Amino acid sequence: MLEVKDVDVTYGDIQALWGVSFNVRKGEMVALVGSNGAGKSTVLRTLSGVQKPRKGTITVEGIRSDTVEPHKVVELGVSLVPEGRRLFRDMTILENLELGGYIGRARRVKAEHLEWVFQMFPVLKQRTHQLAGTLSGGEQQMLAIARGLMSDPKLLLVDELSLGLAPIIVKNIYNTLKEINKSRNVTILVVEQNVRLALEVGDRGYVIENGRITMEGSGKELLASEAIKSAYLAVG
Amino acid sequence: MAALLQILSYGVFSGALYGLVALGLSLVFGVMNYLNVAHGALIMLASYTVLWTCYYLRFDPFLSLILVVPVFFVIGWVLFLGLFQRLLALPETEKLKNSLLISFGILLICSNGATMLWTADERAVATSYTGKVIDLLGVRLPYIGLATVLLAIIVVLGVHLFLTRTYFGKAIRGVSQDYEAASWMGINTRRVCLASFAIGVALAGFPGVVIALQTFNPIVSFDLTNKALIVLILAGVGSLRGVLFGGLLLGVVEAASVFFVGVAYREVVGLLLFVLVLMFRPQGLGGRKA
Repeated sequence: MLEVKDVDVTYGDIQALWGVSFNVRKGEMVALVGSNGAGKSTVLRTLSGVQKPRKGTITVEGIRSDTVEPHKVVELGVSLVPEGRRLFRDMTILENLELGGYIGRARRVKAEHLEWVFQMFPVLKQRTHQLAGTLSGGEQQMLAIARGLMSDPKLLLVDELSLGLAPIIVKNIYNTLKEINKSRNVTILVVEQNVRLALEVGDRGYVIENGRITMEGSGKELLASEAIKSAYLAVG
Repeated sequence: MAALLQILSYGVFSGALYGLVALGLSLVFGVMNYLNVAHGALIMLASYTVLWTCYYLRFDPFLSLILVVPVFFVIGWVLFLGLFQRLLALPETEKLKNSLLISFGILLICSNGATMLWTADERAVATSYTGKVIDLLGVRLPYIGLATVLLAIIVVLGVHLFLTRTYFGKAIRGVSQDYEAASWMGINTRRVCLASFAIGVALAGFPGVVIALQTFNPIVSFDLTNKALIVLILAGVGSLRGVLFGGLLLGVVEAASVFFVGVAYREVVGLLLFVLVLMFRPQGLGGRKA
């Protein structure tokens, strides 16, 4: 459903992505892993439309998404859970969720979606009128994911959710994501620095290094590969 | 005692006006980081529009708002598309500087243009209730002053309800808090900025009426922008809730200074307050945002 072909991205004179190609199939949970500065977040920024590629194409279910404005990308069914959460800190949990479901078709199913995300993240339900900025890190990450789901996306992009959170919380959130992926059939692309975790939950994975995709395979294959073990998992 | 209360009541009346003056400026600044110093000139133009509406159409000044506010909404719309839209892509600090330059140009053109076209003569709209007062325990409260306070409360409440109860209002707050994150929600941020700017300019209509009921001339533009900037700092940048409070504070402090120090120092006291707040509480008295 997502097809990225030969994408180059530059920031001024600095090239961040070099001929990046990958795809995500309907219903999959795919992990894009790599170390700090490899270009992971640039990939997601480009997919969300705030960064335009200099070369190459991105299509979502056959429709070009790289040439339209970011808010149009959301209408195509792509929703981003950004790095650092980027919540509307001075707004309540409920208002954050309402903005998540801002687009027309999401507004019509607001009540149903609210019920669904509260079921996924019950902790949010108890304090719908609390300001987002006053939540703990884990709760903020849950709210960010819930907000991303409110637009009724076909494809959810999740950027670096483990950042600054305790491992146990990260594990829980990943399990919830997996459940969302399986039970609601939302296709998910996660970008993650925590390579082991991401490849464990992902059906497939891509490894990005210095702005280039260098490896791909199923999560298990990649976890078992010698190159991954020595470079990212600190074993062997 | 009655004299002090009398002075303070005038402080509250002019404070409510200051709040109205700063509201549009504060909204635009909060949403897109444009410092529209032409706001005072737009209020001055609104006052002339009120004057003409009252003169030619025999409208009551307050009734003329149904015409003046939409007209200024359109003016804001055109100004944004023609001059301010292109700044949206700039980094935050560049937005501030460039919008300041453009709007300062508009301020000069409007105030000088108005002087050329309509002379620098003092104007005022006279109504049947001009100069009428209610006597409350020896304190004389002018009808127009009371109407200003009521208008300020209605307008601030209206803007507040719009921003907290409607999807579009929430989108405006979202854009003001995080422009990029708002676009990830499917919000057309350019359109939100356009509408906020137009609303900000439309809000110039309300103080425009109050000014028209006092005496005014084209040069009042500078004084109004000056007051709006002081209130913006007192309230805390981007804090709409603080605007009415900041306006009242400025009005009352000015009035008190007239009573205790003398009328010659009225303007100095406002600027002194401005400097003190910047020195000791730069986020504003009510603001949490840095």
